[in-house]
Amino acid sequence: MTVLEIKDIHKSFGDQEILKGVDIKVEKGDVIAILGPSGSGKTTFLRCINFLTETDSGQMVFDGKTYDMAKMNRKDIAAIRKKTGFVFQNYNLFRNQTALGNVTLGLTTVRRIKKKEAEEIGRSLLEKVGLSDKTDLYPSQLSGGQQQRVAIARALAANPEIIYFDEPTSALDPELIGEVLSVMKRLADAGMTMIVVTHEMDFARNVSNRTIFMENGVIVEEGPSKEFFENPKMERTKEFLRLEDSRGIVK
Amino acid sequence: MTLEEIIQLMLDSFFKILIPGLTRTIPLTILAFSFAMVIAVICSLIEYAKVPVLKEIVRFYVWIIRGTPLLVQLLIGFYGLTSIGVKIAPFTAAVLVFSINEGAYCSETMRGSLESVSYGQFEAGYCCGMNYVQIMRHVVLPQAFRTAFPALGNSLISMLKDTSLVSNITVTEMLFAAQRIAGRTYQYMAMYIEVALIYLAFSTILTKVQKWGEEKLNYYGGA
Ligand SMILES: Nc1ncnc2c1ncn2[C@@H]1O[C@H](COP(=O)(O)OP(=O)(O)OP(=O)(O)O)[C@@H](O)[C@H]1O
Ligand SMILES: [Mg+2]
Repeated sequence: MTVLEIKDIHKSFGDQEILKGVDIKVEKGDVIAILGPSGSGKTTFLRCINFLTETDSGQMVFDGKTYDMAKMNRKDIAAIRKKTGFVFQNYNLFRNQTALGNVTLGLTTVRRIKKKEAEEIGRSLLEKVGLSDKTDLYPSQLSGGQQQRVAIARALAANPEIIYFDEPTSALDPELIGEVLSVMKRLADAGMTMIVVTHEMDFARNVSNRTIFMENGVIVEEGPSKEFFENPKMERTKEFLRLEDSRGIVK
Repeated sequence: MTLEEIIQLMLDSFFKILIPGLTRTIPLTILAFSFAMVIAVICSLIEYAKVPVLKEIVRFYVWIIRGTPLLVQLLIGFYGLTSIGVKIAPFTAAVLVFSINEGAYCSETMRGSLESVSYGQFEAGYCCGMNYVQIMRHVVLPQAFRTAFPALGNSLISMLKDTSLVSNITVTEMLFAAQRIAGRTYQYMAMYIEVALIYLAFSTILTKVQKWGEEKLNYYGGA
């Protein structure tokens, strides 16, 4: 079953075209890794498909409906966002809310679920990300890795069809990356549909089932992750992977 | 007068000064500051959300108030209005002028605090499906209020002291009462020091309350 389809998305900032016609098709349970050098438009792509950034042109098929991405109305955007989750590079937790508050706020305001019930859901989600002992702490009292896991629990709260991750571990100290990746791996194993922009080659290779390599606003190469890593076809992809490999060794 | 007589005078006059403090200074401060908060929240939200036309009006209002002396505003608010036939009680005029004056300053404080909340908080809210109003109410305003709280507390304390200016428009508050006694007894130094001490006591209490409030609000580290 197809969860999400994006067709020919274009986006410019000023006279610079950042996305030059990107297509993507996501099946239920897919974990898609998007790789690419800095500035290639990965973040812009994720932001466009969740309407945090306006799109110049493109089509979206989601939840059985087709949308013209350049002409979205507020109601459609709200409806789509209720069924998607977004995890930011810098977590963006609500600073005035506890870990539990971060997870439940969307439930109580958007879904109008009773506070008590929302808190039950929140607690079980925080338990899922290994934070049942941190429910009452504020973001400023949590480590980066813990904050990002709260952010993942918050994204899960809406019971979304798909979650977008924008470099979820890039802001983390190396020793905290593992705890976030393992939560994501568990989600993937549980069948969650995810698009993950990442520089973590191991995650792309071993957890994602499809990998996309993007550069200069276009998809250079994509394929099943195993094949992508073992047998890249494009020269540019090989070069990129070699570069990332050597970086990994240095690390 | 001997020192003992002066001390006796200060003791005798204590309640004569304190009572106007409790019946005039404190109510004026509480009323005006409450209205000022309402004005400040509305005006700062208008500026923050860049509401066309209204935001120009707010800017004009803030410009006028911040650019003119409070004493002159008080004189306009009472003698000015009275002279053109507007019937207004001195105390009412004082509440009005202080609300408007304090509202302008506090709206600037609030606006600064609102703008200090990062846009990422909005984006996170939108991604949770929340709308603008929900995000403002549950995420942005509480954070802005937390940031603004110390500065608002300082404004309140300044205002309490500034209410002494309303003796100029015949409101019988503490300074007015002290002046009356001083005029009768010629003990200006003693009376002014006494009234200063009572102001000091009031503002010290407020400072304590402010500190306590800050600690209460400090739960998310402020950072
Ligand atoms: N709001 C904006 N205004 C102008 N230019 C922008 C804006 N956002 C992004 N860009 C530009 O778009 C290009 C792509 O940025 P984007 O953040 O999508 O890259 P990325 O692939 O996510 O890179 P990274 O790996 O560094 O996160 C960059 O050249 C960037 O400068
Ligand atoms: Mg990026």
